[in-house]
Amino acid sequence: MSMLVPTPIDEISNIHRRAREAFFSGKTKSIAFRKAQIAQVGYLLKDNEHRFIEALKQDLRRPESETILCDLAGAYIEVRSAYDNVEQWTKIQKADFNLNFFAMSPKLKAEPKGVVLLIAPFNLPTFLVFSPLVSMIAGGNAAVIKPPDQTPACSALIAELVPQYLDNDLYHVVNGGVPETKKLLDLRWDHIFYIGNGRTGRIIAEAAAKHLTPTTMELGGKNPVVLDPKCDFNVAARRILWGRFLNCGQICMAPEYVLVQKEHQDRLVDAMKEVYASFYPEGPENSDSLARIVNEAHAARIKQIIDETKGTIVLGGDADVSKRYIAPTVVRDVAFDDPLFQDEVFGPVLAVVPVNSIEEAIDFINSGESPLAVYVFSTDKSFQSKVFDNTRSGAANANEVVITTAIPGLPMGGVGGSGYGYYTGKQAFEEFTHWRISIDNPSWADKIGFGFRFPPYKPSKMLAMLYPSLPPRPAQGKNSKRASTKSGAGKL
Amino acid sequence: MSGRPSSYTPLDEIYKIHERTRQAYRSGRAKSIAFRKQQIAQVGYIIKDNEDRFIEASKRDLGRPPQDTIFFDFAGTYIDIKLMYDNVEKWTKPRRAGCNLNFAPMGPRVKAEPKGTLLIIPPFNVPVFMLMGPLVGAIAGGNAVVLKPSEKCPACAELITELVPKYLDRDMFQMVNGGVAETTRLLELQWDHILFIGSTRVGRIVAEAAAKHLTPVTLELGGKNPVVIDPRSDVHLAAKRTFWGRVVNTGQVCLCPEYVLVPKDFQDTFVEAVKEIHNFFFPEGPKRSSSYGRIVSEAQVLRIKRLVDGTRGTIVFGGDVDVSERYVAPTLVKDVGLDDVLMSEEIFGPVLPLVPVQDVEEAIEIIRSRERPLAIYVFSQDKVFLNQVFENTESGAAIANETVISAGVPGLPMGGIGPSGYGYTTGKEMFDQFTHIRVSLNNPSWVDKIGFGFRYPPYKKENEKFLRALSPALPPRPTEKTSATGNS
Repeated sequence: MSMLVPTPIDEISNIHRRAREAFFSGKTKSIAFRKAQIAQVGYLLKDNEHRFIEALKQDLRRPESETILCDLAGAYIEVRSAYDNVEQWTKIQKADFNLNFFAMSPKLKAEPKGVVLLIAPFNLPTFLVFSPLVSMIAGGNAAVIKPPDQTPACSALIAELVPQYLDNDLYHVVNGGVPETKKLLDLRWDHIFYIGNGRTGRIIAEAAAKHLTPTTMELGGKNPVVLDPKCDFNVAARRILWGRFLNCGQICMAPEYVLVQKEHQDRLVDAMKEVYASFYPEGPENSDSLARIVNEAHAARIKQIIDETKGTIVLGGDADVSKRYIAPTVVRDVAFDDPLFQDEVFGPVLAVVPVNSIEEAIDFINSGESPLAVYVFSTDKSFQSKVFDNTRSGAANANEVVITTAIPGLPMGGVGGSGYGYYTGKQAFEEFTHWRISIDNPSWADKIGFGFRFPPYKPSKMLAMLYPSLPPRPAQGKNSKRASTKSGAGKL
Repeated sequence: MSGRPSSYTPLDEIYKIHERTRQAYRSGRAKSIAFRKQQIAQVGYIIKDNEDRFIEASKRDLGRPPQDTIFFDFAGTYIDIKLMYDNVEKWTKPRRAGCNLNFAPMGPRVKAEPKGTLLIIPPFNVPVFMLMGPLVGAIAGGNAVVLKPSEKCPACAELITELVPKYLDRDMFQMVNGGVAETTRLLELQWDHILFIGSTRVGRIVAEAAAKHLTPVTLELGGKNPVVIDPRSDVHLAAKRTFWGRVVNTGQVCLCPEYVLVPKDFQDTFVEAVKEIHNFFFPEGPKRSSSYGRIVSEAQVLRIKRLVDGTRGTIVFGGDVDVSERYVAPTLVKDVGLDDVLMSEEIFGPVLPLVPVQDVEEAIEIIRSRERPLAIYVFSQDKVFLNQVFENTESGAAIANETVISAGVPGLPMGGIGPSGYGYTTGKEMFDQFTHIRVSLNNPSWVDKIGFGFRYPPYKKENEKFLRALSPALPPRPTEKTSATGNS
């Protein structure tokens, strides 16, 4: 296990200062410069793919295929997307034509926020470092990256390669643990982007509040799956287990539990047993296709949850903390108050929860924090709508789990307890920029309309021309309007 | 201190109001776009049916001439109402997203969904627009809202509190009145978004309270907005629009120009122009003018008086106050140094300091050395001069040959940066904050047969090329080392 060299604490303020100076030098104004840096991120990864694959094998014993799919693909997609679009995104935009104001040439432009801090989590330390970084670069910011300390090989590699490929003054890596992160949070940033858990998220949000720093929070959640008994259980079992066991369960978008009607639980479990056997023909512990838990502390945490569950373990259940091994595990007959529901498991343990009805499933989902995703397996559109329309989440996916993260055009983001703000794509670019608006009001505007605003005020009809007329008055006029039905408003 | 005003919401009522609003949101009635449009229209009629009463209430609270109320409070609200009403359907429709061949069969879509239950805390200076504007944005987003109007404008707060339940859904949109204690109680509760417009000091308190609940926040705070004058510019225009921006609403607009960076040799010319404008605006003197307002409270008058009395600059005109009338004279001060008390905090009153500078470079240096403001104003007809200032500074707004009115221009979102805040309080960008993008897809089973099947264990080396095919080709490798890394 490699040793991660933490950045000396007193170096951290210097790094912050250098990044600020580099930002104020104006070097990032050039879109060509930004594009070159974005491309360089791509080559940082491509030229060193094997080293990243190796590092993640060391840190997470992650199979090569999973690194390619989960940690690299998303980063390349972001590189391409930002490179292709940054010119468009940073163009000066004209406000829509308005008769009263067009003479002032109202415009807006996306400007960088300044110096941003990225605190990345351990589970996907490449994707979740380089994808946000690319968006930050596209926005014209300087950035300080704090990779996770729980993945020392990968984070050391990031610290080695960033200065080789990217501008040394604008983009920095700070490595370390809690003391280094604390020091970073004492400083003033123009935006902080945090991916991780809610408890730490609160600490970061509070630190940011002191400096009035805007933040993005990408947090966790317990993502539920609702199963329509009429769906294809084989397809569902395959995709759900794939999503749960990917990266040994350490994926924020992974399904955490499945709600299935009680009469169909046996059938689901049987389908899962078949899929499980197909995934691990020689058993999971001998499989090359299963990663490990990031460290012993987390392995012990997950083992404890497995030991304490009051449900019945039908697959897996064994663990070897010293090897950071947790068997891919499926537990059935899990009740709502089971220890499995205390927190996000973030490990390869899937709870199967028998319910009486879809309503019961929906109620249970709504009784917890809004998750990152709600998944439904069903080909019946009204079944899908019933679940999605009555729940809240960042993503609402049918017949699939996890993969929204990689789809260009779909921003990743939570709501409620799963966080706020976005990463990937244009929305991420907008997290790291602010709209600077501009007008240039010719002097003659005062002669034809805006002159009335100057004292001494005279009663003037001109003022009323500045604003539009109202929409039609709703038919029932003053408030008698309280919708009597759950689904809609009273009639107009 | 005297007892709590009876208009204040009892502290133990506040929790119940929060609960009722949340329940109303959960009823699902705001899902209907028709409902939202109806409520948005109703906000418009709250004002339209009662314009005279609002003008009267603003007069009592702010000593404000009717025109200022119409211009600042009504116009912007009507503009935002039309924007939300006309666009809510379009903005909330699910749309296809992404055009990537690999994922197209999954039908990726995005939809703007409500965040839930919002808290809006408007300021005292524009008590209608800064409450109703965000309110219609929140309604368009399908949210329920609790509104906490400023206690510093009791007449306006009372009027709004009376009218909102008469026109709008009583449970979805509720009022809480009060001061520090009531606001503190509100901030202890969990909201899905908080929009706060006010001082930087309180903004920090709001952000810290929100952090405990991981609540996203929009802050619209203060700042000292500078004006830069090009000595070659039309001095009459510059003087007129700058001085107007400083005295309108009696200087109590977050976008008001707070100080003017004027070339030393031009200062006297500028001063003469401003004096002329002053006399033109107030032929019978400002105190008797029906076009000039008052300050919101005696405490604020005393604060502004302290600043004026403490200046080491030269008062050209004004400088007098009448505390009992909440009157502060329009005041021009020249030869103000950077360490003057007038430069130490946001004046938020009708006092305009002139800071003489050597040249535009010095002006830019001064602006850069200070906190980033909501707006920077430059008077010049020379594009090169304008660009030089704007390209080398940062602010929420970069305004040429005008002050203040950018807030009312449709299509231009109002927002700050740094200590002037973050997020937006007008327009579609404001709507975007009050909603979250919910992404969706629907993956047919057959995709596993043709491509996505390779993702399942047991992983085979020969399948890795399919996984790699998901990644696009990279852009061309930057060739010159200097342009690539920026390092020499």
